Amino acid sequence: MKILLIEDNRELTQNILQYLSHEGILCEVASNLFEAQDKILSFEYDCVLLDLMLPDGNGLNLLNIIRKLEIRPNVLIISAKNSLDDKIRGLDLGADDYLPKPFHLSELLARLKAIYRRSKFSGSDEIQFNEIVIQLQNFQVNVHGKQLELTKKEFDLLVFLITNKNRVLGKNAIAQHLWGDYTDNLPSFDFIYQHIKNLRKKISEAGGNDYLTTVYGIGYKFGETQS
Amino acid sequence: MKLLNLLTSVYLIIIMVALLIGGFFIYRKLGDEIDFELGMELDRQIEAYAERIRQGVSPEALVNERLEIKELPFQLDEENLSIRDTIAYHDPLSREEKQLKASKSFKIENRHYRISYYNLVIEAEDITETVVYTMLVVFFIQLVFLGLFFRGISNWILKPFQHTLQKIQQFNFQTNKPLYFEKSKVTEFNHLNEFLERMTQKLLKDYRQIKEFSENISHEIQTPTAVVSGKLENLMNSEMTEEQAHLIYAAYQNNERIHKIVKSLSLLAKLENEEFDPPSQIDLSEILEKNIALLSELVVLSDLKLQTEIRPKVMVKIHPFIAEIMINNLLGNAIKHNFKGGWIKIQLKLDHMIIENSGSPIRQDSSELIQRFKKESENPESVGLGLAIVNQICKTYKFGFGYVIRDDIHTITIDFK
Repeated sequence: MKILLIEDNRELTQNILQYLSHEGILCEVASNLFEAQDKILSFEYDCVLLDLMLPDGNGLNLLNIIRKLEIRPNVLIISAKNSLDDKIRGLDLGADDYLPKPFHLSELLARLKAIYRRSKFSGSDEIQFNEIVIQLQNFQVNVHGKQLELTKKEFDLLVFLITNKNRVLGKNAIAQHLWGDYTDNLPSFDFIYQHIKNLRKKISEAGGNDYLTTVYGIGYKFGETQS
Repeated sequence: MKLLNLLTSVYLIIIMVALLIGGFFIYRKLGDEIDFELGMELDRQIEAYAERIRQGVSPEALVNERLEIKELPFQLDEENLSIRDTIAYHDPLSREEKQLKASKSFKIENRHYRISYYNLVIEAEDITETVVYTMLVVFFIQLVFLGLFFRGISNWILKPFQHTLQKIQQFNFQTNKPLYFEKSKVTEFNHLNEFLERMTQKLLKDYRQIKEFSENISHEIQTPTAVVSGKLENLMNSEMTEEQAHLIYAAYQNNERIHKIVKSLSLLAKLENEEFDPPSQIDLSEILEKNIALLSELVVLSDLKLQTEIRPKVMVKIHPFIAEIMINNLLGNAIKHNFKGGWIKIQLKLDHMIIENSGSPIRQDSSELIQRFKKESENPESVGLGLAIVNQICKTYKFGFGYVIRDDIHTITIDFK
């Protein structure tokens, strides 16, 4: 996957580059509108990460140019201006998703991959991790060919974990992904713990390996265990 | 009560009291005056009769029903004029009447006569009637003039004031225009208007500054917290010892907290400044049902019993985004301040919403929990702004907000009015 990151804050750019490069995502950077326009017109990208407040103008202007391109990249808006108006206008102008700052990098990756899958496979693809096969379009999970009975949240959690496989996911990031702002003042970590517990149980009952590890009590990690 | 009506009523009461007191004095004065004049008249009559006796007319020939002549022993001194009330038979009316009797004695040609003369007195009721009638006429004339004054003249005099009042009522922060008034001929009105002009300019300036501040703060703090959060996430994915992991995690948690606080405070500021569009009628039942569905999973995970009684199609005037925040905060609280096996009851009626839940009795006063950063739990995830936000929402949309804790039942009531 090749993406263009349009963001003027260098530190933020570096964070994103570091996180995405681990996933083998090719990431180019533009720090202003002018540079971004130049790159969009010259190269092909799968996805554009677009910050709205840029030194030389509003990122929304770029959406008009992108719309007219022959091969249209997906657009994910990342903005510190968490205003409803911007979100609606951005989506109206053809953006695929809107992620308010500050966001968790794991969430950014999950959204990016979701957009990518939607456009490339129109959602009908599968995510596979060893014996676990997830069919996204009909919310089905099979372990060794055996179907798991998962709730909606457990399904979302599993997809999120596998999308960010081999990464440490902070509890806050998981809570934010599953419930958005809903759990802002709830003891959401208890809820995550219960979901993780159930997920583990269901996978192992179907004969799957336990790929979930707790990382020093700060978060969870899904991946091949070394031991 | 309108200012004019108040003035009129007070003025009328004052006039009435003045007329009563005035009437009393007029009544007294009138009675005295009449008695005095009557006495003088009787004196003249008596003098005239005495004169006739001196001329040689026999006293017996003079006597009539109003005149009484009595001979007194000669050695007695001459009596001065004495006037007193008496009840005597009055022929023309054929009944006993209150009369005025004047007596005086004269020594004429070695004889001593007491001449008494009666006359009818003007009765107290007659005087009262006259006084009351006069006062009433005066009162009604006053009433008519008062009416004319307040209808016409006061309206004309108070016009600049009414105008000012109207402008103040129309003033709002959204239009962003300070008030300007036309010059009036009355100094006090000009003072008032000048003060209002200065005040609205200052208000708008302050408002703009606060607004800019709250906009800036959310952007200027969000960016660094985003940077910090990203750094820590990347750090989490590098090799780390357990000790480092805990340090990273603590930093990460507190950074999240800053983000939540800034978000909540900027929402509070926006609500206080009434920055949200004017509300439209929305279906609160629908929003409530939607949020309950979203939270039902958490209710089950928390091992709570949920009981709902929601009247469909309850329309309330509120911004939909704000309605969601309000409901989310309230339901979140009901889940959070509960215990395993507890319950939540949600009731939505046409004009009010009640959210009740079991919980532990609290140490603080319920009114304190509404304040900012006051919280009961030691849960680090809770910022302590949830109820403050709900309270501010209720203030902004003029809803009634009640929070009662009885034993271990927490009840929040919101009246839409």
